[in-house]
Amino acid sequence: METGSARPKAGLIDCVGLRWFFRLLSSSIGQKFVMGITGLLLCGFLAAHLAGNLLLFAGAELFNDYAHKLHEQWELLIVAETGLAVLFLAHIYLAFATAAGNGRAREDDYAMKQPKVPGRVIGANTWMFASGAVVLGFVLLHLVDLRLGMEGIDLRGLKLKDMKPFDATVKVLSNPISRVVYTIGAIILGIHLSHGFSSAFQSLGLNHPKYTPMIKLLGKIFAFVIAVGFASLALFVPEIWRK
Amino acid sequence: MNHTSTKALNLTLKIWRQAGPDQPGALKSYTLTDISPDMSFLEMLDVLNEQLIAKGEEPVAFDHDCREGICGTCGVMINGQAHGPDSATTTCQLHMRRFSDGDTILIEPWRARAFPIVRDLVVDRSAFDRIIQSGGYVSVNTGGAPDANAIPVPGHAQQDAMAAAACIGCGACVASCKNASAMLFVSAKVTHLADLPQGQAERSKRVLNMVATMDSEKFGNCTNTGECEAACPAGIKLSNIAQMNREYMKAVLFSCE
Amino acid sequence: MVTVADTTLDGRCPTGNMASRWEQRQRDLKLVAPHNKRKSTIIVVGTGLAGGSAAASLAELGYNVLSFCIQDTPRRAHSIAAQGGINAAKNYTNDGDSVWRLFYDTVKGGEWRARESNVYRLAQLSTSIIDQCVAQGVPFAREYGGSLANRSFGGAQVSRTFYCAGQTGQQLLLGAYQAMMRQVNAGRIKLFARREMLDIVVIDGVARGIVTRDLVTGKFETFAGDAVVLCTGGYGNAYYLSTNAKTCNVTAAWRAHKRGAYFANPCYTQIHPTCIPVSGSHQSKLTLMSESLRNDGRVWVSKSKDDSRSPDQIPEDERDYYLERRYPSYGNLAPRDVSSRAAKERCDEGFGVGQSKMSVYLDFSAAIKRDGEDVIRAKYGNLFHMYERITAENPYKVPMRIYPAVHYTMGGLWVDYNLQSNLPGLYVLGEANFSDHGANRLGASALMQGLADGYFVIPYTVGDHIATRKLSPVSTSAPEFGQALSASKSRLEAILNVNGRHSAEHFHRALGKIMWDHVGMARNEKGLLKAIDMIRQLRDEFWKDVKVLGSGESFNQNLEHAGRVADFLEFSELLAYDALCRDESCGGHFREEHQTSEGECARNDDQFCYAAAWEYQGVGQESILHKEPLTFEECPLGTRSYK
Repeated sequence: METGSARPKAGLIDCVGLRWFFRLLSSSIGQKFVMGITGLLLCGFLAAHLAGNLLLFAGAELFNDYAHKLHEQWELLIVAETGLAVLFLAHIYLAFATAAGNGRAREDDYAMKQPKVPGRVIGANTWMFASGAVVLGFVLLHLVDLRLGMEGIDLRGLKLKDMKPFDATVKVLSNPISRVVYTIGAIILGIHLSHGFSSAFQSLGLNHPKYTPMIKLLGKIFAFVIAVGFASLALFVPEIWRK
Repeated sequence: MNHTSTKALNLTLKIWRQAGPDQPGALKSYTLTDISPDMSFLEMLDVLNEQLIAKGEEPVAFDHDCREGICGTCGVMINGQAHGPDSATTTCQLHMRRFSDGDTILIEPWRARAFPIVRDLVVDRSAFDRIIQSGGYVSVNTGGAPDANAIPVPGHAQQDAMAAAACIGCGACVASCKNASAMLFVSAKVTHLADLPQGQAERSKRVLNMVATMDSEKFGNCTNTGECEAACPAGIKLSNIAQMNREYMKAVLFSCE
Repeated sequence: MVTVADTTLDGRCPTGNMASRWEQRQRDLKLVAPHNKRKSTIIVVGTGLAGGSAAASLAELGYNVLSFCIQDTPRRAHSIAAQGGINAAKNYTNDGDSVWRLFYDTVKGGEWRARESNVYRLAQLSTSIIDQCVAQGVPFAREYGGSLANRSFGGAQVSRTFYCAGQTGQQLLLGAYQAMMRQVNAGRIKLFARREMLDIVVIDGVARGIVTRDLVTGKFETFAGDAVVLCTGGYGNAYYLSTNAKTCNVTAAWRAHKRGAYFANPCYTQIHPTCIPVSGSHQSKLTLMSESLRNDGRVWVSKSKDDSRSPDQIPEDERDYYLERRYPSYGNLAPRDVSSRAAKERCDEGFGVGQSKMSVYLDFSAAIKRDGEDVIRAKYGNLFHMYERITAENPYKVPMRIYPAVHYTMGGLWVDYNLQSNLPGLYVLGEANFSDHGANRLGASALMQGLADGYFVIPYTVGDHIATRKLSPVSTSAPEFGQALSASKSRLEAILNVNGRHSAEHFHRALGKIMWDHVGMARNEKGLLKAIDMIRQLRDEFWKDVKVLGSGESFNQNLEHAGRVADFLEFSELLAYDALCRDESCGGHFREEHQTSEGECARNDDQFCYAAAWEYQGVGQESILHKEPLTFEECPLGTRSYK
């Protein structure tokens, strides 16, 4: 009688009891939830990745040692890499899906639109899709440079095969194109995170008058550290270790 | 208030004119002279319309009713801002002292796929009714209610519920959101009823049905820019959307609905 | 001079013990079996507190309900603007309240011009309303321990007013709206928004349907049913400037009147004492500041005439707290009509404040000093905010300036105890009827009446009509529907065809000025006669010189407005005529010829202790007066004193 929206007819997904899961993924809130979760998990990856890479400043021995130990546990690495790939793909897919829906929801544009949030001019939140796309480009180049390059699939002619991880990395960072893209990529990533980090908490429903101001501040600090950390690698590592 | 005019104003208005839902629309310019700064924004439009009628031009259609900020009928984009520049203010409560002599004011209707234009500045917001209809209530018939004091409601729960229930349904949240999202509106009702003991029985069903209807009405998604909160004349907080997200996930993951 | 009908009107109240009259009536009312309810259709016009609650409750019972509202959604009806609260004889505060005391206060507040049995029922039902609304999730203010909070209101010495911050009407309306939307979802209510009722259809003397106009497309439509329930509010906008919303109008009630329903006591209009004063000729409406402000605000003017000092320059002993001076036991909480007249008296004598000298101060400095700004902000923050938005003055620092404005109308279509008009099948609820407030309504009682009528009276009484009157099936193809439809159509076409020089707004403002000047807070024979003359002239001018652009087949707000103004121009004459014929002072109707030496109302119970129900005879024709004698058993006629 009063169930409101009609439920779809029972099908395969009902037989396996996954109606709720598909409802979640097709709903606006569910999509934002997944977006937020994947975003935060990727933040965790960024933090770990940055921590490891900062060893570049400590010199070849420590960094190679770290890389070696990481690659020794190849079973875990496969799981981690697969997980990361899933996180990235889900995050990217939802970005496209929600952006398309959001664009349609306005239909005709305003002749003029001004923000009403005090002090907000054009914030990071307006450019999440664009900054995300830049970050994606940066990540792809990064994968081409090091992940594929080290395997010997030398798309950029950097000849990294058989090089030690430290030398290979320094060589990549010394490449002018990579250096510029990595620096800009890191800064854009920071802008992406400056909204994304705290926004993820909001999407997960974690908003509380006591903690939200702290989360917002933490998000800005995190974004700053990630941006400065990765940019510093591209900017200073080649200067310090150039032979 | 950061600006207050005390002298009469001369203004240029650029107003969206559209004869009907399927007709093409365009901005049209009008000049007004000698506008009292004590007029409300709608009274300024009244003056324009009286002049248009005198000239034999059809007056500008705009929605309005109580003119005291509570009915939620009025609402236009003023220079790209929902309900104009003041915070916590409806269009009818905005006064002309907020503008300066010589200003050009751009007036557009709410724009959203879910709010089709009826005429000029008037839009159809019945999508909001359909969202409420799908679950924004406590299912209790008239008669037989227990004594009002039988179930105590802690003061803070009542205050939170009241703060959310203050929504006037004007649609400024949708209009100001870059994604034309209705999350603030829907979350206000979800929060209002979830905060009270009376709303518990249908807590899961309500949020699932209301969100499903919201999605099917083609509103956009939330990207947490906070523009809805800034434009809201009733002071509905962004934290309501977080609560709705929470309520929704809880309902999907843990309820039997 | 007035034509009086031979027979008196009977309110058909139960007799016997006052406390058990409603119970007895419920026993006598015939029931409709569930399967027959499903076959019956009830038309409910208006979706305010009365209409929304009636539509929801009737649909819950199983009737097919057709619900109409003039706004774009039922949630915007003007009940939403009520700020202060709703009365109920709960006696949660243990301060001596009871059903009897609420009943007594209401009869006394209405100057013994209400129907006693109705008022007693209202007081009895008041407690169920609070229970019902709490169950719906209406967030009434609470004490920290979780029990309901109360505050005081004008005309009462107990705290019996329940409230939701300064938005009680909004929350109660949303409660009714939500209950309604639940029934829309269940398919029991068909909702028609942006529809204006333009006529009722009477077949064989029984109301069987309505004519409406779709305000978006301009299309005329007819709907048939087994009963028509009008919940279309009051006629305060006859004064142009009032606290009513812009769409509030008399059209539905007036068209019903023209079809034979009696209009009772139109002269009982309430002028609310605490409104924001007029700021200029552009003013399009007035804004009320809740009466609850008088709990903490003190009303005063200077003791010297034409005092141009700013309020902070006027020392305490040079201030005249005239309400506290004249009414020491009620003070600033004197009832509305009394407070309004007292403000007018001070301003007319030259003691008014502000640029126009047509306002008085409402000062919170003592309360802020006593309780702190935070406490005052918590209680009235939204009202202070609203005041500042409109006036650009900060009421925490400078006293508010207020002046009375038209706010509520106690008169309305005549109904019997069952809320049925003299036209069988036509029921009238809420502000649109005349029954419960007499000559003056107490604060926080309008919400109570609207909801009592809709939730708890009409579900019982409408069934009796359906069960006892063997109604033959009717469809909109009956000739009466066609006739009513073409009459409505040609009226709007006539307006469009005048093609004169002045807008409907122009005529509305002109009518408002006549009404405020001559039929306002104080009236006299000469002024009323003049007003009737002027209204007739203005009406003639309207039909010769009104200018409405555009077509009837589209969304045309000016055409809507013009139609309503045309009806106000007919109705206002009856209002003035009723005021002229009621040659006494009582409540909201103050005749200068009849006042005590202290300027209070002088009632004339020997001649005027009746409800005046008028029967329509034609435009400009004198109506016939039907008297319903009022008797007072529980609450004997007395003097209304707030000293």
